[in-house]
Amino acid sequence: MVDLVYFQLLSAALFAIGIYGVMARRSAVLIVMSIELMLNAVNINLIAAASHMDGTGKFANFDGELIAIFIITVAAAEVGLALAIILRIFRNRSTVNVDEINLMKW
Amino acid sequence: MEWAWLIPVFSFAAAPAVVIFGKYLPGKGSWLSILAIGGGFVVFWLVLDSWLDAHTGTIGCFTSENTSLLTCDYERSWFNAGIVGAVGSVSLNWGILIDPLTIAMLGLVTFVALMVQVYSLSYMKDDPRFGWYFAVHSLFAAAMLTLVLADNFLLLYVAWELVGICSYLLIGFWHERQAAREAAKKAFIVTRIGDVGLLVGILLIWRDVGSFSMLDAFEAVRTGAMSEGVATASAILLFLGAMGKSAQVPFHVWLPDAMEGPTPVSALIHAATMVVAGVYLVARTFPLFEAYDADPLLLVSIVGLVTALGASTIALVATDLKRILAYSTISHLGLMMLSLGAFGYTAAIFHMMAHGFSKALLFLGAGSVLHSTEFQETGEMGGLRKVMPVTAIVFSIGALSLGGIPILAGFWSKDEILVAVNDHRNVTFIALTLFTAFLSALYMGRAMFLVFFGPLKDQNNHVHDAPIAMALPMALLGVLALGFGLISFNWPGSFGGFGTFVFFGHGEPFHFEVWLGALSIIMAVAAFVAAYKIYALRSVSLQGLRSRNSGLLKIVENKYYFDEVYQWTIDRVVLVFSRFIAYFDRAIVNDIIVNGPADVTRKFGIMIRVHVTGHVYSYAMAMALGSVGLGIFVWLRVA
Amino acid sequence: MNEFDDVALLLLIVVPLFGSLSMMLMPGGQSKESWYFAIFISALSLALALVVFADYDYDEGGFQYLTSYEWLPGPLDISLSLGIDGISAPMVLLNGIVLFGGVLVSQTVKHRTRDFFVLLFALSAGVYGVFVVRDLFFLFFFYELAVLPMYLLIGIWGSSTDFGTFLRTKEYGAMKLLIFLVAGSILVWIGILALYVEASDNGVATFSLQGLAQMAENGQFDNDFQTLVFPLFMVGFGVLAGLWPFHTWSPDGHVAAPTAVSMLHAGVLMKLGAYGIIRVGMFLLPEGADNWMPVLITLGTVNVVYGAVSAMSQNDLKYIIGYSSVSHMGYVLMGIATLDNIGVGGAVLQMFSHGIMTALMFLLVGAIYERTHTRDISVLNGLAKRMPKNSFFFAIAGLASLGLPGLSGFIAEFMVFTGAFRTYLPLAILAVIGAALTAIYILRLLARTFMGEPDERWNDLTDSSPVEMSVGAAFVAIILFVGIWPDPLLRVINVGVQSVPGV
Repeated sequence: MVDLVYFQLLSAALFAIGIYGVMARRSAVLIVMSIELMLNAVNINLIAAASHMDGTGKFANFDGELIAIFIITVAAAEVGLALAIILRIFRNRSTVNVDEINLMKW
Repeated sequence: MEWAWLIPVFSFAAAPAVVIFGKYLPGKGSWLSILAIGGGFVVFWLVLDSWLDAHTGTIGCFTSENTSLLTCDYERSWFNAGIVGAVGSVSLNWGILIDPLTIAMLGLVTFVALMVQVYSLSYMKDDPRFGWYFAVHSLFAAAMLTLVLADNFLLLYVAWELVGICSYLLIGFWHERQAAREAAKKAFIVTRIGDVGLLVGILLIWRDVGSFSMLDAFEAVRTGAMSEGVATASAILLFLGAMGKSAQVPFHVWLPDAMEGPTPVSALIHAATMVVAGVYLVARTFPLFEAYDADPLLLVSIVGLVTALGASTIALVATDLKRILAYSTISHLGLMMLSLGAFGYTAAIFHMMAHGFSKALLFLGAGSVLHSTEFQETGEMGGLRKVMPVTAIVFSIGALSLGGIPILAGFWSKDEILVAVNDHRNVTFIALTLFTAFLSALYMGRAMFLVFFGPLKDQNNHVHDAPIAMALPMALLGVLALGFGLISFNWPGSFGGFGTFVFFGHGEPFHFEVWLGALSIIMAVAAFVAAYKIYALRSVSLQGLRSRNSGLLKIVENKYYFDEVYQWTIDRVVLVFSRFIAYFDRAIVNDIIVNGPADVTRKFGIMIRVHVTGHVYSYAMAMALGSVGLGIFVWLRVA
Repeated sequence: MNEFDDVALLLLIVVPLFGSLSMMLMPGGQSKESWYFAIFISALSLALALVVFADYDYDEGGFQYLTSYEWLPGPLDISLSLGIDGISAPMVLLNGIVLFGGVLVSQTVKHRTRDFFVLLFALSAGVYGVFVVRDLFFLFFFYELAVLPMYLLIGIWGSSTDFGTFLRTKEYGAMKLLIFLVAGSILVWIGILALYVEASDNGVATFSLQGLAQMAENGQFDNDFQTLVFPLFMVGFGVLAGLWPFHTWSPDGHVAAPTAVSMLHAGVLMKLGAYGIIRVGMFLLPEGADNWMPVLITLGTVNVVYGAVSAMSQNDLKYIIGYSSVSHMGYVLMGIATLDNIGVGGAVLQMFSHGIMTALMFLLVGAIYERTHTRDISVLNGLAKRMPKNSFFFAIAGLASLGLPGLSGFIAEFMVFTGAFRTYLPLAILAVIGAALTAIYILRLLARTFMGEPDERWNDLTDSSPVEMSVGAAFVAIILFVGIWPDPLLRVINVGVQSVPGV
């Protein structure tokens, strides 16, 4: 069986890439993609943890998978909403560059 | 006699009736007002008659142990403060107290008020606010009558304040004039300051005795339940109020300015009725004043003497006719106070009445002059007896009466005062009082001769005498000024003279100190003769006297600079303090203490708000860092 | 009548609330219709208040019209319990009268009339609520309801003062008023929670005033606790009552507010504060009250003198009246602090009398401002010639203010002086001097603004409208009536004061 540590390392790496994407990208769409990446990284972590609960590779309980399904659902809804907002902003401002969208400044 | 309360009520009812219905009534409501006061005058006679028939057994009447007078007292409940009957509750009543003092005052007030209102029919004939004038006159009469009838201090205070406000309204009647507005305000405020003393005194008495009833207070004094300290303190405080209303030094400054009001108002309020309220108060509360060592009475007599003397000197050099009369009033009020302070109770009351009639007469006469000449400077007058003989005669009667010429009323009362002062106070008092008597004759003569005698100026040729509505009241008052002195004697029959009617402690039939009487007659006659020579014949010139004493003359002419000192105090002390407080409130309490924290909060907010950058990545960074921090924190705690 | 008794007090609160909510549903922009409906609602509330006051049995005393609706039983024990006694009955009447008068003279509110009345009625519902509830939680709830609409009312419909160097915008007045009053209520809320916690520690956990008063009587609140908590109420409610030095919101608030709001504010709202001190402070913490009374009476005296002296130098008509209110509330606070049945009775009577008197003055000033668009007394003069009836009523209000006998102010002030004389002599003398000082600024105001010859620019002024005149006349009639025959009010007040502990 692959050890839990490797799954968690994979998850951490994906999460870090996701965070880097959120903070460094200028395009709003890419930021949303990075958020998706972060969410899926967490999914991996949770499912791996679920499968390693009693030390074997078997799935003893399904809590982790349940949470993962929740996350997928919420992510889907959220992406739909985020993309709708980005579309609106693009129609108003003709750009999705987050550096230029700072109307909510004090 | 228990219907005596009708006397003020007639006028109380007339006042609003004239205000509301005056337009529709004949004479704009003036007749209603005169009817009310006339009715009061009639009831006064009924009360007098009823009192003369009464004796100790009559309902409500008893012989007071304080004054030894027959006193009748009637009460009705007004309102209760606190629970009825509980400890510390107070029951306030409408009550009337009738004793000879009350009857004397009732007669004086109703008669003079009636005369003045009839006179005003003609004097104020063309005034646009004719109806309002009579309404306030009625209210004033009602309040004054309530004041003399009151049997408890609260009702007295209520009436006292009402009288003050009516005076304010009447002095400021022609409020288009700046001078009138200022004079009314000054009168009200100066008397208000005295009223502080009055209210504090009343409350002090209440605190000690537990009741506002005057009879209860006097009883407490008599039995010793009220300590000397409280009695003295409250007497002096009450006297402060009396000083305000009766224009004693240093509260006298409002009376000369009050001459801005219509002359009939001056006759009623500032000669015969309102200003004697203070004298009445001292007389009414005499048991308080003469309790223990009667220390307050010494103060009263000193204040009275200073006032009498000072005002006489100013009257001697004043040139405005009404001002001369005003200062004369102040001087005579001082004499009344002096008399009270010298235990001359009867003399003071008698002089109050004699002066009331005579001074009212003088003012009405002055009004008659002003009505036709329309100026008030005596320098412009002279020889007016040729064009207004009736006025000249009555004015002269009044002047001679107050000057102290024998037979006339003023002589008898002044003589009684001299007797009292001589009996009870030391030599300085009687000497100065005699000097004051001389001066009062002198300035009265001066006024009389300056205005009515001597050559007639051309500009005054058109001047005419008073019409009947004005002449009749003056004539009636003149009769009284002439003959009032007669009731002070012992007549055959049961009437023992005024001294057995109004007295304190024990009645004294009239007696006459020959040397004092002779001295005062000589001085009065000499004064009038001197005045005649100087002002009527113009045969003696005062130039030399004036130039030698020019410094002193200047001080007296400027009324001893009282007004200037007060004005300075107001401008430099009171108003400055007020501006300081207003500034303090605005700048310090508000701008610093209140707005300060608000500004600090706002600035702090401005400092912090920079973190809202509007950029998504900065928010994301904050979230990331925050969650990392939180994670480390939890990890450390768990580990 | 018994069924009516049960719901009477609830109706008192519900009628204005209903008025407020139903006006929200009305279409906007209909000025006249809104005004008519508002008159209807306020007339209804006045009728209710009159009936409730008249039916109060002053021989029996105590709390009457008692009802209770449970809300949150259990550990919190909050219920909407209602009842009035001799102290709250006159206040309910006062609110009814001033509200009705205020609505009648608000004909000139043309801008967003409907919203104005929505807020006004919400405010009045809150005021009624404070006076009739017997539960701390709901007292606080209605207290806040009475205070919060003020912000919008002043901020939207108010007027600013601009004398060049001195600028106070209406927004500033509204904001300052709100923050001050909310800060005060925070203190009150802390006090309420402290009381609840102490009650649950020592006895029964409840918010009910009756229960807490019972505990106070049994001595279950110890002296230290009371001494610590009482100032929270004294200052917290005192802020609303204009206690010095927390009074500065009051002149600015008065000046900036529109006429009806000023009338309610000075006439009724400030009395809420004094009422709170009595009802919550003195009933529930009698020993604490006893210990803190010297401070309260000293501050009250400062109110009287400070307010009067400040008023002497003001140039804005409404500022003079505002500082005058601060001064007169000083009498109320002094009366409360005497812990003497005449003094406290005088304080309650002064609350009523001053409420009517000051509402009248603001009414008249509103009429003047409407016509002249200035409140600067150095510019206004001779108004007696152009607006005679207005001036006459103003003179009566002014004379009542300085305590002229025959008008209601005298009786109230006299009772306060009498009470104070028994307990704090030097301060009482200062208060009497304060009454004399009142004469100065009132006469100054009357002489400058009303007497004399008017400027030409005032040639076209019209006197107040018939509606304004009738309301003014009614208020003057009340002042005269109470001044000459105070018994109907006093017998109710006396019975109420009797039950204040420590008196």
